[in-house]
Amino acid sequence: MQVLVPVRNRLGATCFAELDDPAEQEIFLDARTDFSPKQFFLPHAEKMFRFGKSNFSCKISQLSEKKPTVIFGIRPCDTHALQALDELFIGSLGPDQYYSERRKNALLIALQCAKECDTGFCTSMGTSQATGHDLLFIERGSDFFVTAASDRGKSLLDSKFFKQTKDAAPSPRIECKKELLTQNLEENLLQNFEHGIWKQEAEKCLSCANCTQSCPTCYCHYKDDEFELDSMDSTRYRMQDSCQLLRFSQVAGGMIFRKSRAGRLRQFVLHKLCYYKKRFGTHLCVGCGRCIAACPAKIDLTEIANAIQKEAGVQK
Amino acid sequence: MIAPETPLKAKIVDVAVETSEIKTFAVRFIDPKVQKRFRFQPGKFMMVSIFGYGEIPISISSSPYKIDSISFTVANVGNATNAMHRLSKGDEIGLRGPFGNSFPLQKFRKKNLIFIAGGCGFAPLRSTVFAFQEKKKEFGEAFIFFGCKSPKELLFKQNLDQWEKEGKMHVLVTVDNPTPEWKGHSGVVTKLFDKIKMPVENSVCLLCGPPIMIHFALIELQKLGFKEAQFFASLERRMHCGMGYCAHCNIGEKQVCTDGPVFTGTELRKMPLRED
Repeated sequence: MQVLVPVRNRLGATCFAELDDPAEQEIFLDARTDFSPKQFFLPHAEKMFRFGKSNFSCKISQLSEKKPTVIFGIRPCDTHALQALDELFIGSLGPDQYYSERRKNALLIALQCAKECDTGFCTSMGTSQATGHDLLFIERGSDFFVTAASDRGKSLLDSKFFKQTKDAAPSPRIECKKELLTQNLEENLLQNFEHGIWKQEAEKCLSCANCTQSCPTCYCHYKDDEFELDSMDSTRYRMQDSCQLLRFSQVAGGMIFRKSRAGRLRQFVLHKLCYYKKRFGTHLCVGCGRCIAACPAKIDLTEIANAIQKEAGVQK
Repeated sequence: MIAPETPLKAKIVDVAVETSEIKTFAVRFIDPKVQKRFRFQPGKFMMVSIFGYGEIPISISSSPYKIDSISFTVANVGNATNAMHRLSKGDEIGLRGPFGNSFPLQKFRKKNLIFIAGGCGFAPLRSTVFAFQEKKKEFGEAFIFFGCKSPKELLFKQNLDQWEKEGKMHVLVTVDNPTPEWKGHSGVVTKLFDKIKMPVENSVCLLCGPPIMIHFALIELQKLGFKEAQFFASLERRMHCGMGYCAHCNIGEKQVCTDGPVFTGTELRKMPLRED
């Protein structure tokens, strides 16, 4: 079993990790982490299976790690991110065995945000209350107010760590510093596919892919077959990819379908704020603001979307 | 049926050299029960694994009515296809699928089928022509327009020769760059459209080839009076899963692997095909 908590590592970044080196890590509960717990459901690199090839006969044997996991301190926005990913990975196309196994084996202990973070806009996206979690912790100064949201969570409340109370649940107010105008958003973005703002913003873009790396819902992945050094076996890996990289849409023969940075930036914003909702009914963006914080060129998708929205006549 | 992410083993039973860069591989599942149960409709593709090199989407180019083996017509253009071209009869590959939608032949009853193919894009269309041949009575006439870069890149020569001799089938071939010995048409495939009287009513156009070919073919066909509801084009994009999870083949809100690869003219008009 692995227990994951939000920590600040020695490089100064905050992420979810096992607390195995107290000298190098400190628990971080002040705000949402720089990196979401996404990598525990969609790892950077994952072994899918191994092909055995000896005497020209191929045996395909599967590898799949099933480790029960507890994630403590997951923020409401990140719980919504998992719900959005569920639409695809456990949805109508049939469950992806790798993702769905991990989701089943993960206990989510959510932590309510006590104050707004620097770049988040969760109130605009409707993601400031946790969903799909097992337990919710709300800070009260000297202790936490805890509620259960699932049967698994309810059974945990019987343990000696919790004391029943008749107090009302505290409800901290979040006033996000950023806002996204969401009225008729999908249609307005589609109408402005050729708008000059894409090229204008992309002039600054470095295609570094920080946005997709830090995003709690980016799920694009590629596959890589690697030979094992000790035999003629090869292992198929699933690796996280980014639509911001030039080769993402390149096919053999050389053609690249999304060559310009403007096209790739637009793909990121439209996938998050338009296409996914049209397909699955829920936005792929949860308003965590990580892409804005992580961008070295200070590209802000709320600024882009709001500029288009205001031109389309949408008011606050 | 076939496990979603794990390929099933298949053996190459025949290799036909079409051109210096294109080969057709006929394969058969190692497990005869799987081969016996295998069914597909023309237009579908499979994810083909070349062990150690990777997995790629390839359209099925054989007849849906002759399913003792499955054929893939493949151009040597990248790592995996290069490795595949070095394989011979008896070697093994992995297969997943079939994936994607298909040319909706049941909607084409009594209609004329107008095939427009560019280069290796002919692969899924050949499968559809075979289906037409099998059930000729149920359709109108077939018009096959095929363009490729040069005479030595002409593929499916035997099929083309045979189809020219058959009733209800008209074949026109052109090359972009003719050699002195070439006696046929030259120029892009759209230049063939005025070389024969094509019925516009009760016809459907099935296209597959480079994006630029599809783009100009649709324009020329509309000039001749065809409407977008009569167009069915098979698109390609980079694919890693073939099943809708990896996001590489997304075009707007559509996915080429699950909503396509066959798209109608109406769908195509609404898709951001040119993203630069």
